Amino acid sequence: MLLAFGAALYAVVMALSSRRHGQRAYQRSAERAVYAFCALLTLAMGTLWAGLLTNEFVLRNVADSTSRSLGWPFKLSALWSSQAGSLLLWAWMLSCCAAIVVRTNRARNRELMPVVVAVLMGTGVFFTSILTFVTSPFETLATVPADGRGLNPLLQNPYMVIHPPMLYVGYVSLAVPFAFAIAALVTGRLDTAWITSVRRWTIVAWLFLGLGILLGARWAYQELGWGGYWAWDPVENAAFMPWLAATAFLHSVMVQERRGMLKVWNMALVTLCFSLALFGTFLTRSGVLSSVHAFGESTLGPYFLAFIAVVLAGSVALIVSRLPLLRSQHSLESYLSREAVFLFNNLLLIGLAFAVFWGTVFPIISEAVQGTKRVVGQPYFNQVSLPIGLGLLLLTGVGPLIAWRKASPAQLRRRFAMPLAVAAVAAVLLGVLTDAWSRWAAGAVFTTSVFVVACIAGEFWRGMRVQRTLGGVSWPGALLRLVGRNRRRYGGYLVHIGIVVLFVGLAGSKSFASGGELALRQGEAGNVGGYTFVNRGPERMSATPHVANVGVGVAVLRDGRPVGVMHPGFSIYANGDRATEVAIDTTATRDIYVVLSSFEAGGIARISVFVNPLVIWIWAAGVILAIGALIAGWPGPRVQRRAAPAAARAPARPAEPTRVEA
Amino acid sequence: MIAYVLVALVALVLIAVVGWPLIRPAPGESSAAPPDEERGRLAEEVDRSLTAIREIDFDHRAGHLSDDDFATLDGAERARTAELLRRLDRLDSA
Repeated sequence: MLLAFGAALYAVVMALSSRRHGQRAYQRSAERAVYAFCALLTLAMGTLWAGLLTNEFVLRNVADSTSRSLGWPFKLSALWSSQAGSLLLWAWMLSCCAAIVVRTNRARNRELMPVVVAVLMGTGVFFTSILTFVTSPFETLATVPADGRGLNPLLQNPYMVIHPPMLYVGYVSLAVPFAFAIAALVTGRLDTAWITSVRRWTIVAWLFLGLGILLGARWAYQELGWGGYWAWDPVENAAFMPWLAATAFLHSVMVQERRGMLKVWNMALVTLCFSLALFGTFLTRSGVLSSVHAFGESTLGPYFLAFIAVVLAGSVALIVSRLPLLRSQHSLESYLSREAVFLFNNLLLIGLAFAVFWGTVFPIISEAVQGTKRVVGQPYFNQVSLPIGLGLLLLTGVGPLIAWRKASPAQLRRRFAMPLAVAAVAAVLLGVLTDAWSRWAAGAVFTTSVFVVACIAGEFWRGMRVQRTLGGVSWPGALLRLVGRNRRRYGGYLVHIGIVVLFVGLAGSKSFASGGELALRQGEAGNVGGYTFVNRGPERMSATPHVANVGVGVAVLRDGRPVGVMHPGFSIYANGDRATEVAIDTTATRDIYVVLSSFEAGGIARISVFVNPLVIWIWAAGVILAIGALIAGWPGPRVQRRAAPAAARAPARPAEPTRVEA
Repeated sequence: MIAYVLVALVALVLIAVVGWPLIRPAPGESSAAPPDEERGRLAEEVDRSLTAIREIDFDHRAGHLSDDDFATLDGAERARTAELLRRLDRLDSA
């Protein structure tokens, strides 16, 4: 770790020296130090993983978070169950990102790269200094125990193997756009080149943060046994805030590329993204707020706060010093324009991020001011996020249909007539055929969702018609050509569809969930949410030297017809730990979620039952978002240039473009 | 003891690898962008500009841009492309 710390420090010094002295050799040496940093941290990760797999209980990390009977996948994931191990994972991922950045920019962005390397390795210095001087993942014990204390049962879940690394990739990737933004500010190269270099990194960060959040929600749903998946827990919020900021950046960056506007705003957003990623790491590690996801009390808080303060102060000072170079090339010409919609979208996203931030840190502020920690509950977050979320959902459909610069009323009528008509029909049908409007918020979300889907479908339809007018292709061929030629736009539209599916899942599961408690003797039946549950008696489901599963068989019926048999229970571990094992029966329209609360005297099984509509739509949204983001971020073919004079190569103006009207 | 020797060896190897460019710098190296890189940067700018022209044309055909806005945006982007190509030519002839 000490060598890695030294390599990072050396890279910072040499990268900055190369700028001062104009020596490319210094920069090449700094870049080699980045590779060395990555190699050393890979060695550290490998060493710790080897220790975990081979039960080296002389290491505190191994003794505290594993046991001999623990399976190897959870031994590997135990690395990020500890404070120091998770920081090592953060630093290692940062080193990998830095190495990839150096490799992919070896012949590009030469003016920016010294500062990029200095910023990334400066962050590396911070993390490795903590790992070297404050909390070491390789701390040894004076007395070696015969067996470890074992992994927290809540973490012995497949989602915990994948969820933290996904989240960390998201957090760490946000360091790259930040490094390029700082480099652009320092060097004064404030054209769109830095934005182009970081767009893909931001998509990667956005995608992994999003998937990490969804996988964390899935873990909470499956493991915590309270029937929900999202509780506005501080650590959940900590990942949600940078995701919101990254979403805002991915939209506002288009305004800068197309219209040369929002340059200061984009710089501020990139800084905000990285600061919120650090803040999330701080919240998880400082122990200032209690959370099911957080590590315990620690002394790391002040270090993180100091680093965040340096990042914010340095960035703000740089942005202010470069304000003359960051002037917009155009001004907002109309509130009925694509850039105005992106601006509203950004204001809503950042407004929501601020509201979540305020609710998250309020306990800390109240404790500092009043001396008592006042926790902000779910009602505050739900109340704030509902109108903002609805506004964002609406803009998801409106944005793609509005013209850049200025939209005319006639254009708006043409574009929105059909989606509005479809949404109106859907609203009526929802009222007639379902009870969706019994919860106005759900009705509004479902209707808006239909409107957005109609808007996006119209966009695909118009695009395909343009493709067909350009060359004789079939409709499927037109679709493929359309997406292939503008992956960014149509991948983005697919992401919008994913957001719609997510909102439908959230609205359904939050608004129409029902539940109840049942205490049933063997053979007895009880009703919850329109279903009948019959206790079929206790079961011993499985047993290994590490864990035994016991539970109860519960037959489920709907209108007298069998739906299935569910098996809620407990896992009882060799070290005496116990964890709830939830039983979930999933269809496209609902989840039946059964938790065994306790066995009581007289053979009574006390079970909690939840009927949660449309939950699977939330997980399906994750898949759609991932596919859309991959399409949007996939590199396109480079445009070939001919070796001819500039005048001859200037793009020819199309004589009479054929316009496709809606 | 063996561990310390191994760490020292790793440290020495890393120092050699990292410090090599300082001992044997490639002749004429400076941190300023060389013509090749400048050419590459300009070529990427041209790519982006051509993509923007295609998008503006597509937006116009799809009815997202009025004729006036299309003329303004398209003209500005074409002028930018031409300027970039001129700079590329100047670099090639230098």
